[in-house]
Amino acid sequence: MRVKVLRQQSLISAPYWETFEYDGPADNSVAGVLDYINYHDDIINAEGRKTTRIGWECSCLQGVCGACAVVINGTPALACETFVRDLKGRDMEIRPLRKFPVIHDLKVDRSSIHENLKQADVYIGEYQPTQDGNHAHQYAAAKCLKCGLCLEVCPNYVNGRTFFGAAFANDCYLVASRNRTKGGRARAVYAEHFGKTCSKSLSCMEVCPMKIPTLASMAKMNRKGK
Amino acid sequence: MKHVLIIGSGISGMVCALRCAEHGIQVTLVSHVPSERSQSVMAAGGINAVLPDDETGDSIASHVEDTLKGGCGLGGKKAVEGLCTYGGEILQWLERIGTVFSVDDKGRPLSRAFGGQSHKRTYYCGASTGKQIVSALVMETRRFESAGLIRRRLWCCFHSALIKDGACYGAILFDEARRRLEAVYADAVVIATGGQNALFGKTTGSTQCDGYAAGKLFMQGAELKNLEFIQYHPTTMETPQKRMLISEAARGEGGRLFYRRNGRNIYFMEDKYGSGGNLMTRDVVSREIDALDEKIYLDISFLGKSVIDDRLPEIRDLCARYGGIDVTREPIPVQPSVHFFMGGLAVHLNHETNIRSLFAIGECASMYHGANRLGGNSLLAAIYSGNVAADEIAGRNDGGLHPDFRSALEHESKLLTRNMNTQSTYPVMYMRDMLAETMRTRLGIVRSEDNLKTGLTDIDFYLSIAERICYDSSVMPYFNYSLTAILTLARATMICAMARQESRGAHWRSDFPKTDEAYGSASIIAYDGGNYSVRLDKERRYES
Repeated sequence: MRVKVLRQQSLISAPYWETFEYDGPADNSVAGVLDYINYHDDIINAEGRKTTRIGWECSCLQGVCGACAVVINGTPALACETFVRDLKGRDMEIRPLRKFPVIHDLKVDRSSIHENLKQADVYIGEYQPTQDGNHAHQYAAAKCLKCGLCLEVCPNYVNGRTFFGAAFANDCYLVASRNRTKGGRARAVYAEHFGKTCSKSLSCMEVCPMKIPTLASMAKMNRKGK
Repeated sequence: MKHVLIIGSGISGMVCALRCAEHGIQVTLVSHVPSERSQSVMAAGGINAVLPDDETGDSIASHVEDTLKGGCGLGGKKAVEGLCTYGGEILQWLERIGTVFSVDDKGRPLSRAFGGQSHKRTYYCGASTGKQIVSALVMETRRFESAGLIRRRLWCCFHSALIKDGACYGAILFDEARRRLEAVYADAVVIATGGQNALFGKTTGSTQCDGYAAGKLFMQGAELKNLEFIQYHPTTMETPQKRMLISEAARGEGGRLFYRRNGRNIYFMEDKYGSGGNLMTRDVVSREIDALDEKIYLDISFLGKSVIDDRLPEIRDLCARYGGIDVTREPIPVQPSVHFFMGGLAVHLNHETNIRSLFAIGECASMYHGANRLGGNSLLAAIYSGNVAADEIAGRNDGGLHPDFRSALEHESKLLTRNMNTQSTYPVMYMRDMLAETMRTRLGIVRSEDNLKTGLTDIDFYLSIAERICYDSSVMPYFNYSLTAILTLARATMICAMARQESRGAHWRSDFPKTDEAYGSASIIAYDGGNYSVRLDKERRYES
């Protein structure tokens, strides 16, 4: 199998494609493929030239931390839970999330997700539940990995300066549902940075590794006066 | 204004930061990755607590007794009493800041049974308790970030502490973006970097936890404690890249361990220990599995789809995704794997190390769990220890002036720059993998003098290479400069395991199979210019 990786040595250097031959186990995850390619004395690309190890990020390797979010064959996904056996075609193409600055190869700086939530003062403060609280929905929303996959696929999210995307919307929902005194404020920032711009393609829900029901969050947040 | 530098932003680090901020202390919270990537999100099963309105007959005294018994007498009594006393308050605080606990129809948090405990006191959020707590803490931390009291520093790694005459004045950090070292001064430094997974390679934990900070601080004069006590979790699933934890929640909900012989299922834990056999403490279950030359399975299929979907969805999904197993129809093949480190930086009751103003909290500190940790106590200890350290720091009047460390920074910077310009043909990852192989084979569930000696010889060889090899420039400089301290920590661990010539909790010696009361104290190891000295803390200096 040929593995094509979009590489970039640093924040300011130019990106370029480099291809590798992969002859490892077919039941490996994409994270396993990257480890396999990297684990040699000399890293040789498909053209037979010596090159450097591929930079990528991981922590849990079991789909609960979001570190390894990349784009695989055009689809944003976690490398640790995407398996070679499930990919269509004989080749694999991996590139970093393009909505964030690249630090090194597949490592990107996603701190804008947190900074936007901070700027909009999105926090629960004190648990004061609403009467119609949906526990399962809140549990799902709190599992958001802040991995950025929903933002990568979103047609409305560009650079995170005004429209903050689904990760922001779900945190707003969590605040409104866990603290009834903050519902008004949470809805206001939700409307400003998500509600009024979202074109409802719902592609964010398709790629979410935690299967967060963003549409249900939107339904709750769009309801006036609740 | 007082300034505290906290290294590590998992649950323990965030809790300490929040408490410091509540005291009006300025906090710099350093981690290479955001809190969502910390190992804390992987804590699955739950958190132990005895609530004030408990109606099950449970008590704080009972929680203390279970914890001390689980720790085989090595968990400090005073410390454990503090931990358990505040369990209920901590749980209520977590609820108050918005943690989404699993609740009954009246909105009260639900609890489940965990191994080695006399009561059902492990409160949970499905099987993703750590993740749910992290989400709530990130929100709460954000509140104080907006207020300017907590400042996060991402893409930074710990390099070394600024220590002079037995006191700590800050730390040197490696800034990955700028690729240079930087000195950060503080009135106190708190280490919250988790366990030392990298010593063993494939574990249930995060790749981010490598033990470097503990190893480096050890080389700088901090003492380490109880390193030989390493918890093997009995139920993990093998995958190509790691061991996946099958949470104790599975057995807490009724899961049964068995092996197959002549077409029959042999429920070996129930046969030996009765109906509660599956929920014996982790050290006991792991040892029983290790002694059997059989393929072991964990069965939860009989619980039924609705119970599994409702209470154990994460285990269902994990097994389906990484093992191709439908847990509602078939058992899970399991085996023990390294999961938790009871040992770490030696700290006093206030979580200060033997170096003044240097604190350690969470898994990197050794305090409550003795020779074996009970499930549900690690999340509790992570939070409690963060609070204890913050309160201690807030109550002190010292700080302000610090010695000049400019020449030390210059020296370290020159060394790092020189090394970063070298090019090794021998990747540092190979060294880490060789160490992991040594640790897994020589410091397994059952140890012996011969095995440990061989392990020590291997590590000495790796150390002799590490001192001489150039840097592998195609990985982060951190991976290169961390190698010697990680190997030094491994050597200290091996020495502690050799010195404890008895069997107790997670430390089991085939050549000394009995518990010997002469070893009924914590082991402490110190480092001085290449010399390692190990002793028993008979005077219980670290229990005050």
